[in-house]
Amino acid sequence: MFKSTQALFGGRPRGASPPPQKARQRKRLRSVDRVVDTVSAALERNGQTSKAVNRWFAEMPREEEMLPKDKYTLFDKKEKSYRKSIHKLPKWTRVSQRVNPPGF
Amino acid sequence: MSYFRITLLRSAIGLPRRSTDVLKALGLKKRMATVFHRVSPSVAGQIMKVKELVQVEECQYSLTKQEVHLERKPDPGYYTEKSISDQRNEL
Repeated sequence: MFKSTQALFGGRPRGASPPPQKARQRKRLRSVDRVVDTVSAALERNGQTSKAVNRWFAEMPREEEMLPKDKYTLFDKKEKSYRKSIHKLPKWTRVSQRVNPPGF
Repeated sequence: MSYFRITLLRSAIGLPRRSTDVLKALGLKKRMATVFHRVSPSVAGQIMKVKELVQVEECQYSLTKQEVHLERKPDPGYYTEKSISDQRNEL
C-alpha cells in the first residue's frame, strides 16, 4: 500500500524541524500564553495590575498570531538566510523567543 | 481573596541564577512541587520571571502540603463497615 510520507517525497528541507518537534514547540508556546492569561485574569479580578504582564501583552504576539517563521526559526546575522532553526538557541525549550530585531 | 496555585513542571537547571532564585523565593524546590500564594502584583511579577517553567491556576483556598498530596490518593476500592453500637458511640 502506498502511503505518502515526508520521507518518500525527498525528506524534510535541510535545517527544518521535524513535525512532532514543531508540535511540541507550539504546545510550549501555548502553555506560556495560558500562564500569562491566568495571571492577568486573576489580577484583574482583584483590581490589580502588573507591569510585567502589561508589558508582555504589549510586546509579545500570542501563539496563534505568530508566523511559522517566528515559531520555528530565529534571526542570526551570521547565517546566509539570516534565520537559523530555533533548536540552536541554548535552553530553547525553557526560554521565550518570539520577536525579531527591528527591521527583520 | 484568591490564590495562585503554582506547580513547577520544568527544572531551572542550567538557566540563569536569577530563575533559580525566583523559584526559591516562591518556595518551589523540586519539580511537581505545588505552592499557594495570595494574588498580588509582586507574586505575578515572580511568576512572569519563570513562566516557562510553571503551571498556574487561580483558586479560592490555599491547601496544605498534605491536602495537595491527598488529592492524588487513589480510591481504596473498599469501605469499612461499622456496627450499630460503634456508630452510636461516635455520635
